[in-house]
Order: sequence, then C-alpha cells, then structure tokens
Amino acid sequence: MRNLVRTFLTLSVALPLLAACSGGRLVGNEEYGTDNQRERILRQTGANPTTAGVVVFGVDRSRQQDQAAAGGGGMTVNAFLWRATLDTLAFMPLASADPFGGVVITDWYTPPQAPSERFKATAYVLGRQLRSDGVRVQLFRQVLRNGQWVDAPSSSTTNSELEDRVLARARELRSQSASR
Amino acid sequence: MRKILLGTTAVVAAVAVSAPAFAQGAPTVRIGGSIQAYWGYIQQNGAQSEPGTAAAVPNAVPGGTGALTTGSFGRLGKHDIVTIPQFSVIVSGKLANGITYGGNIDLTFNNQESRTVIPGNRNVGVSRSAPAVDEAWIFVAHPRFGQVRFGDEDGVMGGLMNSGWITGFGTGGVFGVWENFQTRAVANRTQTAPGGLGDNSKIVYMSPQFFGFDFGASFAPNFGSMGQHGCIADVVNTFCDRAYAFRGATGAAIPVRGGELGARRNEYQLAARWRGNLAGVGLSATAGYIGSGTARDLTDTNRQVRTLNGLDVWQFGAQASYMGFTVGAAYFFGNTNFFWGNTIRGARNGQQLTAGISYTSGPITVGANFMSGLFEGGDNSTFSTATGAVTRNAAPTVFNPAAGVGANTLASQRRWGMGFGANYRLAPGLDLIAEYVFHSVREQGADLDAGRAGIQSRGVANVFILGSRLAF
Repeated sequence: MRNLVRTFLTLSVALPLLAACSGGRLVGNEEYGTDNQRERILRQTGANPTTAGVVVFGVDRSRQQDQAAAGGGGMTVNAFLWRATLDTLAFMPLASADPFGGVVITDWYTPPQAPSERFKATAYVLGRQLRSDGVRVQLFRQVLRNGQWVDAPSSSTTNSELEDRVLARARELRSQSASR
Repeated sequence: MRKILLGTTAVVAAVAVSAPAFAQGAPTVRIGGSIQAYWGYIQQNGAQSEPGTAAAVPNAVPGGTGALTTGSFGRLGKHDIVTIPQFSVIVSGKLANGITYGGNIDLTFNNQESRTVIPGNRNVGVSRSAPAVDEAWIFVAHPRFGQVRFGDEDGVMGGLMNSGWITGFGTGGVFGVWENFQTRAVANRTQTAPGGLGDNSKIVYMSPQFFGFDFGASFAPNFGSMGQHGCIADVVNTFCDRAYAFRGATGAAIPVRGGELGARRNEYQLAARWRGNLAGVGLSATAGYIGSGTARDLTDTNRQVRTLNGLDVWQFGAQASYMGFTVGAAYFFGNTNFFWGNTIRGARNGQQLTAGISYTSGPITVGANFMSGLFEGGDNSTFSTATGAVTRNAAPTVFNPAAGVGANTLASQRRWGMGFGANYRLAPGLDLIAEYVFHSVREQGADLDAGRAGIQSRGVANVFILGSRLAF
C-alpha cells in the first residue's frame, strides 16, 4: 500500500511539472467541486456564481460584459468585435471609425518589407452578437509603377485571414473580460 | 502573385506583432449569500427516551416556571422547519503577468446542536444561529503553474476534484440537508461524504489541465479549523489541535469532541482527474488517496502509545453526462470509520459505494442516489492508561439480542441510505425542492438506541423535505 502511495505521490508531483512545461490550461474555479452552499445553489439553478451578488469594491465587470454583449453604452454593434477590429487594424493609420455604423476605414499603409506596395482596409462590424460572421474585412492593394500608385488585386485569403485575427482577438477580449 | 503573397503576409504578420499582453484588472470585492428554508417530516429511531424508570418523570413546570429535569426524558415531534443562512465575501483580481488571485470568506449560521438547557434554565453552549466561519481561503493561480489555495478549505479529495458523487438534485439526496433534521442518537446523521472530510486549515495545490488530466494535492497539519483550535489553557491540554499526544486520543477518533477536535494529524490528499468528451458524452473520472497520521495516547507514566490507524483510503469515481442526464458512482476503501475518523489499531477497513443519477429538463431537475458502507462497529477495543495496551474486547458468552441479552461489541456496522429529490427552478438562484431520504444503521447486537429498552441493533430515519433555497 505504501509503495502505491509513493508512486501516486511521485506522479502527482511529476505530472504537474510536465503540465507546466507543456503549457496546460488553467482550470477555472467553477470547474472544482465546492462545499459552499451559495455556490452550489447558484450552479444548480443556472446562475453564475462569479457574477451573482453585489460588488462593494471595484468595478462590476460582469455588468460591463452584459452591456458590451448587448452593445450597451450607445453602441449598436458588438463591443468585443469593435474593439478587436480596432486592435487588429491598429498597425495601419486610421482614417475613420464609426462605432454606430460599425465601419472602420484605414489610410494607406506600406509594409517595410514591401516598399512598392501599399494597403488600405475597410472593416464592417455587422451586428450586436459575437459570432464568426459578425465582421467583414476588405483589403485594397496598390503597387508602385513608374512613380504612380496603381490598383492591383489582393489575395482573397488575406481578407479572411484578417477576419480570423479579428475574431481571435475578440475571443481573447471576451475571455479576459470573463476571467476578471 | 509572389508579390501579392509577400505583401499580404507582411500585413498579417504586422497584425500578429500588435497583439497585446494580459490586461490587468483591479480587485473586485463581491458580497453574496444564500438562504435555505425547509420543512421536514421526520420518522426516526432515537426519538424517545426509555419509559418506566423511576427518575424518568419530568418535573411539572406550571406556567413555565421552575427547573427542568436533566437527563434523557423526552419525546421528539415529527416535524420542524430548518433555516440555514450564509454570507460570502468573494475577492478576485488579475495581474498584468497573467496571475489571477482572490479569496473567499463564508459565514454560515448553522451550528449543529445549539444550546443545552440545564437546571435553573441556563443555556450552555453556542446558539444554533450563531455565525461561524465555514471556509476562508486565498488563491493564487497562473495558466502555466496552476492554482494554490491557502486557508480553511476542503481538500482535493474532500470535494474539490471528486467524481461520481451525484448530488446535483434536491438538496443532495442522501448526502443532503436531511441530516439537519436528525438528532445524535443512532448517528444516522453522520455521513462519509467528501465534504465531511472537513475544511481544516490546509494548503492545496491544483495543476493546470493538459490532455484532459489535472492533478491536486493538499496538506493539513491537523483536524482543527482556523489553527490553534482549542489551545486556550495555560498548559498543554487534550483539546488543543496541535497536541501530537494526549490522554484520551483513542476516544477522539471521531471528530465530534469539542467542535472540530479529532485525533487526525498530518492529513494529506492526492487526486488525479481526467475530463473529456466522447461522442457528445461528457466524462469525468477521479482516482485519489487520503492519508494521515494520528495523535498518540498517553499512559499514566506519560508513555506515548500509538493506538489509532492513520487514514489510509483510496477512492475511485466516475460520472457521465449526456442530454441532461448525469450518472455516476464512487467507491472508497481503507482505514477509516463511518465519519472519516481514525480506526483503532486492529479494526477492520471501511468501504463505501455510492451511485446516483439526475436528469435536468428546462427548469426541472430530478434525481436519486444511494450509499452503502461497511465499517468497524463501536467500542470494540479498550485502551489501558496503566499499561498502554489496546485490548480487543471479548465476545459476550451469552448473546441473544432479541432478548436484549449480552450486547455485542465486535460487530461491523452496515450503513446504507437512499434519496430521491426534485427541484423546480423558479428563477436563477431560486429553487423549490421536494426530497425524501431513507437511512439505516445496523450493528448486530450493539445497542444503537439507548433510550429504548433492550438492545436496538438497528436505527432508521425517514425524512421528507419541502422547501426552497435562494442564492444571490
């Protein structure tokens, strides 16, 4: 019996170290069992223990999240997608941003690696919900020929790649917001 | 095309570089709580004292004046209303380096037995409605290194990482609130459930999850909560949780003497859990170990004698969820008694199987669970303070429990129970509940109900509960 315990103990120490090296996923407090009556009741009745109750100190981020998801604060589009779009296109100079219409238009941008090309992006956040078809990005490309910028086709996969980046960032923002 | 790819790759690469780090969050302090109120109808053994003895006539108390007679002279009614309030303070915050932190303080108003009225109508003890800290702990967590909890909290096998205990219906079925409607006689209320291991002061580590696995370990120096439990006398005494040897340790195996005093020392728990999803079925399985040392008993000559086994318990459990159904079972075996207490050396191992099922559809949840355990019976050995010997008691020469002759002190104890419950969710955080629980304790030839004539080898409890609970 003692040998078994020793083996179990060794595994219990070694495997978390392995987890630390391989980069595991943080287990949320809601994934552990609880003897706390309040939390048990909230879990069983479909309420969220991390957002129930009254905030007496600090910012009630759960309320902010609710408002953001519903496009609160006067916005008519999803706040996570909107913020993610701005974050994603922040490397380009911004020409205009309309939070009510959900439109972001950048100015021309020349990547240092390709000085004879320049890009301009237009992004549309399409609704209040955080969903994968909630954003559209259109990239425009020009190339320098004989000292003149002329229109050129851009790769259609780049548009979807940028949309993926926006969605990933929105998911990240949502996740960070939820874990606070 | 090559130029297109070159340029557009650069655009996408520029996006990747612009991704920011973790956002730091100021700490948030949240206050919540719960109120549970249940009406219970109870039929149980141990509800009346022995009739017919000369002293068993209560004093007349005309108009409510005069002293009450001490002793076990009474009859219990069959129904009552139990209320259990709780306050929680929850702190949470996040640092820019990804560390999350916080803590929990739970204040519960649920002291088990309340005051005793003694002659002269003085109240002794703690009021049942007096507040007491149930849990108080701090946590620090990081995605790469896992989580550490420090303070009064359950261990990893004391409820944090167990699988197979199906209690998500009613108030928990056979592991639920029905125990609050029981008296100490017959001991139907004592349960070997994960939470019963206790939230004694400890340190807990739980790893991140990788490939579906996560691991945990916890350590507690003793059974006392808050630390220094009972250490109030000028000299070292029996009731201090830091005492590693004291007179009477053999009798303190079951943690009922003075709140949370018990002989358990150096408790450690280990757990390995796997969770995953196969073809839409949510699965969880846990293997764990609970070990401990014990305090030693002292002889008249101050010789320390180890009279108790440490906890030495393996536990395995698994559960599956699909389409609103959850089924599960858990089994444990090893050195423990029916209340996670230490057994006397030479006593048999304890073992318990539990299984349950629940189903949720919309606002309605129904479920059932049962437990069946076999443990060492009571008072099977005697400790001599003169010699330090632990002697197995002799079997009675004349044994006829039906005639009430020759109480047996060597039997094992069979404990089993079952519960059925239903919840109707009126609103998030608010439930209406109906539940029925049956529980039985059997120990052949042992008198489990001293209030009745003869040897009562069996004690049963039937509890029906109607109530509601609200959490916020």
